[in-house]
Amino acid sequence: MQAPTSTELLKNPEVQRALEQAWADSLADDPALRHEEGGWIFCEVAKGAIMTKRAPSGKRAGMDLGSPPIEPGFMVVGTFHTHPNPTADGWRSGPSELDKQTAQAAGVPFLIRADDGDYSTGPDSRRGGMAGNPGYPT
Amino acid sequence: MSSVLTQPSSPPGLIAADQALSIAQADALAAYRDLSPYRVQLVLEDDGWHVDYELKKTGWVGGGPHYVIDARTGAIASKRYEQ
Repeated sequence: MQAPTSTELLKNPEVQRALEQAWADSLADDPALRHEEGGWIFCEVAKGAIMTKRAPSGKRAGMDLGSPPIEPGFMVVGTFHTHPNPTADGWRSGPSELDKQTAQAAGVPFLIRADDGDYSTGPDSRRGGMAGNPGYPT
Repeated sequence: MSSVLTQPSSPPGLIAADQALSIAQADALAAYRDLSPYRVQLVLEDDGWHVDYELKKTGWVGGGPHYVIDARTGAIASKRYEQ
């Protein structure tokens, strides 16, 4: 089985639901409380079902996606997180240099929701396909 | 507490590294509120003091503020907020 691509993940209803919930939980409209939210995207090895898990809440402009949990029968095929700070106030909405570096090192697509749309960075799909370590393939 | 790496010396007539850091930090605190996750680097280049905040922890996504401070006037010549 092929690992899903970033485009396929962004179209997946479960991933869209997770992005929408993460965006809502980020409190983007609250200047005092806005913060990053996100988590990991898993693919079931046997049937290809997509599942998401949330990571602990992040900070205003960063969060820890370094240690995905192990889900039996599933492999990590991506991550998602929010950029809740407004472009109108001068914030960059797309992936930061650290986002790009972390995604390349992890070996899966990193999806990002910002106030001007969705982005992805890192490899287009899980490096090495649906094989190897169930967490990040590195 | 954020950690700071500096190139501390500056020629006469130019603002010192700690002044550049203070100018950047005032703006960065207003935007980011908490700078404790960041390492700060200051370098004097031809276009001014470059003040760059980078997250310290591995496995994190996100970003920090990046400034160029005019070394003669202390004005913020450019800034970029990453997240």
